[in-house]
Amino acid sequence: MNGAPQIGGRAWPLAAILVPLILALGAVRSAPAQAIPYQRPVETAPQPDAIGGGYKVPPVQKPLPRDYWLQVLDVVALAAAMGVSVWLVLRRRNRKWLMALTIGSLAYFGFYRQGCICPIGSLQNVVVGLADPRYSIPIVVTATFFLPLAVALFYGRAFCGGVCALGAIQELVVLKPVQVPRRLDRALGLLKYVYLGLAVLFAVKPALARDFLICRFDPFVGFFRRTGAPHMLMIGGAFLVAGMFVGRPYCRYLCPYGGLLTWCARLARRGVTITPDKELDCGLCAEACPYGAIEEMRAVRRKCLYCARCYSACPRDGERAHAKTELIRLSGAAPS
Amino acid sequence: MTGEKQPSMARIGSLIAAAFIALCVVILFTDYVVASRRAPGDDKIVKDLQEQTKADASLAPKLAAEQKRVTGARLARKTRDNAVAWVLIAAAAAFLVFSKRLVRQEKPPAPARQDAAHAPAGASVVVPAAIPELDFSFVDRMVSEIGRSKEAAIPLLQAIQIHYRYLPDEALRRLCDLTEITPAEIAGTSSFYGQFRRSPVGRHIVRVCHGTACHVSGARQITEELRRHLAIPDGEDTDAARLFTLDEVACLGCCSLAPVLMVDDHTAGKLTPATACDALKVTA
Repeated sequence: MNGAPQIGGRAWPLAAILVPLILALGAVRSAPAQAIPYQRPVETAPQPDAIGGGYKVPPVQKPLPRDYWLQVLDVVALAAAMGVSVWLVLRRRNRKWLMALTIGSLAYFGFYRQGCICPIGSLQNVVVGLADPRYSIPIVVTATFFLPLAVALFYGRAFCGGVCALGAIQELVVLKPVQVPRRLDRALGLLKYVYLGLAVLFAVKPALARDFLICRFDPFVGFFRRTGAPHMLMIGGAFLVAGMFVGRPYCRYLCPYGGLLTWCARLARRGVTITPDKELDCGLCAEACPYGAIEEMRAVRRKCLYCARCYSACPRDGERAHAKTELIRLSGAAPS
Repeated sequence: MTGEKQPSMARIGSLIAAAFIALCVVILFTDYVVASRRAPGDDKIVKDLQEQTKADASLAPKLAAEQKRVTGARLARKTRDNAVAWVLIAAAAAFLVFSKRLVRQEKPPAPARQDAAHAPAGASVVVPAAIPELDFSFVDRMVSEIGRSKEAAIPLLQAIQIHYRYLPDEALRRLCDLTEITPAEIAGTSSFYGQFRRSPVGRHIVRVCHGTACHVSGARQITEELRRHLAIPDGEDTDAARLFTLDEVACLGCCSLAPVLMVDDHTAGKLTPATACDALKVTA
């Protein structure tokens, strides 16, 4: 993999394009997976002999794939971001730093890596990998797919909180959220399983008819790349405008990977919890949660998107933080 | 108020940002429309020139120039749109920052919420109610009816309790003056029996069941929530407006409804901390 010639330092960001293509848009843009020694595949086009006049086929420029260790680094970054997210939410209960992580994830996974690495899209690659024996996926893609699910099995949907770029962009636009009526919320929530089913159905089709729906109808990737189909950009804009008043509409009602995470999060042993003893049963957290994830004063793990708004709204948490600083001030000791 | 200058700052900021967003969207959209209108024409010119060049080789430089122009225009549009898109993203970020500040100012966080949470049901403004002036001729009448001996202590206290709904200090002092009962005996009797109260009650009595079933299903949390909702200080049982007196009772005898409370004669069962406060509204 390292034997391929380097194009040069400047082309390095360009090199980022091929891996995303494999990861997410492989089939849609029908890019050959790894075709560095490029051969002209079209025999019917005029060949150099036919053109004459000393014509030479110009060297075809194809961007190199991202270095393998960089791909591994991305997976490590994904895992680390989820770890930090769990620690910030469950241990520190700190929304401020979680927001910093969210912005960082949006900048790196979103704008810099242009929406890939994306566990949501990797779902399709894994499905095709399982269904088609001739389709192989790199271990980094497999890891990208399974890591958030594994974290969800233990701690709930930590990936959705401060890590997922699609989630992050919606998290940041939440302005004045309304509470969606419970029944409507539940009914709309079923849409994501329909979408999941459709995505799997289209992905397992034979190679020529295969379509990666999730990537094709990804509403926000156009913003990360600052280009895209006009109708998708408009739909993405509509999602963002709606997201100002309905918290994270894509995550809650459409994200197919969210459906898988929901199933895993049901089994989570730890996660965001609201207890009458450690917190209060005062309901401020339920008011603060824009995602309707606090039902009857208790956090619902399969809906909780790890935003830590409940903790930042909790008077007890504020009290504890205040008490701690007060104690430090009184005792004149530095915090240990 | 301090909020005279700040909101206008945030408002102006968000308006400017919104204007930038609208401007960028308009630019991008017109650029897209213009480009997609022009594209078929350009393609046709190039294609026609290609056809003509096949017949007449002298047209080749013209074709090359035309191709260069079309490609140049498309590349320029790409760069332009990318730049505008970055401005749009920056403007959107600025808009969100300003409008979040605006939203936060619109609903001041702690005090307003507390007012709303602590206002008792049925009263929009909490006015600490003064204890009304009482007429103690009732005590005289009772003493003459029931008697002056020590044995009359409990019936007298009961009558006073029923009449005034508690034992006012002044009434007890009067009782001591009129009868053979000593202040010590009155203090002992009135504090020994649970049926006597020494402090005024609210208009409604809320009995929260603390029996075993209710305790297990969270009666303590219900009581805590009611105390918080009514803003009853520790060590007291009546809210400032004297509307509700909170009473923890042993068992109301309907464990299947646990946790349960009674507001005067109304019973509310299967409560949660959220619905407990709603249960108080039956009196409104």
